[in-house]
Amino acid sequence: MAHFEIKDLNFSYPTAKGKKSLDGVSLSIERGEYVVLCGKSGSGKTTLLRQLKSVLAPHGKKTGEILFNGVPLEKVSQRDQSAKIGYVMQNPDDQIVTDKVWHELAFGLESLGCDQKTMRARVAEMACYFGIQDWFHRDVANLSGGQKQLLNLASIMAMQPEVLILDEPTSQLDPIAASDFLNTVRKINIELGTTVIITEHRLEDIFPYADRAIVMDGGKVIANDTPRNIGRLLYEQQNDMFAAMPTPVRVFYGANGAGDCPLTVREGRNWLSREFTAEPVHKAMPVQTLPDEIENPALSLKELWFRYEKDSPDVLRGVSAEVPAGSLYAIVGGNGAGKSTTLKAICGICRPYRGKVKIFGKPVEKYKSAELFGGCLAMLPQDPKSLFVKKTVREDLAEMTKDEKRIAEVAETCQITSLLDSHPYDLSGGEQQRAALAKVLLTQPKLLLLDEPTKGIDSFFKEKLAGILCKLKESGITIVMVSHDVEFCAKYADMVSMFFDGQMLTTDTPRRFFGNNSFYTTAANRMSRHVFSMAVTAEDVVALYRQNKEG
Amino acid sequence: MGFEKCHPAVNFIYFAAVIAGMILFQHPVFLLISFSCAFLYSVKRGGWKVLVFDLILLPLVAAFALYYSSYNHFGVTVLRQNFIGNNMTLESLVYGFVLGFVAAGVMIWFSCVHSVFTTDKVVYLFGKVSPRLSLFLTILLRMVPRIKKEAKRINMAQRGIGRGVNQGNVFQRLRNCVRIFSMLITWTIESLTVSSESMRSRGSSLRGRKAFSIYRFDNRDRAYVIGVFASLTVILMAVMLKQTDILYDPRIVMTPITSMSYLFYAGYTVFCLMPLGLELWTEYRFWKARKAL
Repeated sequence: MAHFEIKDLNFSYPTAKGKKSLDGVSLSIERGEYVVLCGKSGSGKTTLLRQLKSVLAPHGKKTGEILFNGVPLEKVSQRDQSAKIGYVMQNPDDQIVTDKVWHELAFGLESLGCDQKTMRARVAEMACYFGIQDWFHRDVANLSGGQKQLLNLASIMAMQPEVLILDEPTSQLDPIAASDFLNTVRKINIELGTTVIITEHRLEDIFPYADRAIVMDGGKVIANDTPRNIGRLLYEQQNDMFAAMPTPVRVFYGANGAGDCPLTVREGRNWLSREFTAEPVHKAMPVQTLPDEIENPALSLKELWFRYEKDSPDVLRGVSAEVPAGSLYAIVGGNGAGKSTTLKAICGICRPYRGKVKIFGKPVEKYKSAELFGGCLAMLPQDPKSLFVKKTVREDLAEMTKDEKRIAEVAETCQITSLLDSHPYDLSGGEQQRAALAKVLLTQPKLLLLDEPTKGIDSFFKEKLAGILCKLKESGITIVMVSHDVEFCAKYADMVSMFFDGQMLTTDTPRRFFGNNSFYTTAANRMSRHVFSMAVTAEDVVALYRQNKEG
Repeated sequence: MGFEKCHPAVNFIYFAAVIAGMILFQHPVFLLISFSCAFLYSVKRGGWKVLVFDLILLPLVAAFALYYSSYNHFGVTVLRQNFIGNNMTLESLVYGFVLGFVAAGVMIWFSCVHSVFTTDKVVYLFGKVSPRLSLFLTILLRMVPRIKKEAKRINMAQRGIGRGVNQGNVFQRLRNCVRIFSMLITWTIESLTVSSESMRSRGSSLRGRKAFSIYRFDNRDRAYVIGVFASLTVILMAVMLKQTDILYDPRIVMTPITSMSYLFYAGYTVFCLMPLGLELWTEYRFWKARKAL
């Protein structure tokens, strides 16, 4: 008997005017399976997942049937559903209810009315399994994002669920915390046999281990197969989702590879080794070098030193950089290295106690605030929501300028014309990001600062964003971007800087930067570096492959 | 290492009793015993910062007594007449001091309560009364700092486009404040919606909710409670024998002090010193155990 059996499920939201959010979905999920659900934002993934737990199911018109352990879901009692179906949501912060770690762990057990002894045992068990004992007594407010999400997972596992449903659990986490989290989920699946149903953008970390991948588009299931076969289906259909596949898969099909599709970097390397037993003729991608001297930089930083409090350690320890006008400059580096602080120092929110920030040749402190933020520079914050004030996107944009024509233009550039009358909070992550970008662009900045612009955005929206950024660059805007996303930086940036220990350590063009790194680099580079050099994106590897094979 | 490690219920009983004693007993001896014990204990817990706070209270007590006696003129022992011709009496002056010491003592005891009672303990005690109430309290405890943090973050984001609370002229600043406030409300509602979903998803609406606690009632707690009640019995005897009674109006009248009275004073001192004693005792034990190594 299947664990979850979904039979011809249709669903439409009351406001959708008959448009189906789920259209004839039929699926069967076996006990102990690890299923990854993928699809663009708005393809109905979250809607489907929420149908699997009655308290979370949105209101709307629903037909069809969902069986849990062979019993219709609405006949399964609330108590059983609470305990047996665990649900982890996107935002780590909002899900946590109580203020202490130990209390949060026990929350579900309190609801079930367990006695003290059982609660103590289960909480202790969970704390040990998840390695939480060191921060057991802490305030939730002092945890990092990754720890918070792990706590959410642990507090659900304490109820000993049979199924674990995760809705983009890592979209708000940095890459290291994200892969830690996903490893824990995998461990739960392997060691405890808990059924896992997960939606995720970071397929690299999941695909090799998942039993099955289900692809949704427009509320329909368009593919349902093992991860190894799903790439071919998507490639043949020329589906947008193909761009979200792990790098080895994209390279393999991009190069028309034959045989079994590689899923991991290791498999990808082995496949390339088999393909190129001899030294390839065309070995390296052409590289551009940096000019020795940058004339009239849009932004120059000279040995910035900054600390938040008088006695706290320095966050910036001599940051120096020069950004040529009209380029896309990316700053990469670990968490808490001071990347965001650098952006704040650039726009004068933080004042370094040593060093100089010059914007278009003029020290930042010489600018008047109105002059600086009206037509010179603007910053897009990490959380785009913190920019929206009004009830619709249009009103929000109108707040920045009275010029209707300009609003229409910017909306067109950011591809949000069709979203103008929606509430900003109702948009998906990628749409919010673009709406926020539009709002920021209305100040007509010449220097645009972006803080983690690709956070929580799927690959399809990332490409859209990249297109917008290229257009902005063409119109003469200089862009400085802080990011964890090495793949994005490798593909679209003109210059990449490594930020470490409060300094910009190295700066180079993306190919030379990532091509010379062996750990902190893209999957494409790690996969191909033994055969090719300076190939940092899937496109690079495919191009070299084709050049060699086709002569 | 001391009293704050006791079970919250013990903390609660003790502080309730000791503060009640502080307020109810206007007998100068009892008053001074409780006041000085509170003084010592608060300084032990809080260090020199609390010492300064406590010392500042003393002149305030005197000032209050002077203020009180210059507006209340009961009593028979006239000290002198003030410049508008009203009698300053010994009784009202003394009573002013008594009231001042009671208020100061209660404040000092509350500073001890504050350092011993963490929010966890409050939540736990509420949980004993009603698990739902304590759940509500804990949500509140989490939301308030989060809203503060979010306000900062929104302000930071707005500053990045030149619309922070300290950018622009006065009117713009005012408008920016209102905008940030309105965003904060939207954010709070949004965030609470997700929290409530997460709660319901973990069965918060089921019947029969229990409160989990990390506290256990051990033998030391039992011993402490026995100690509290034993000394309370002694004090109760003092109350029944009218040893704690005193009149300030029209003249100071109290039950004569006999050798029995000293027993009661001793009992009350023991009661008021219990947390400090426990703290010192634990520290002594710890020191001895370390020395034995």
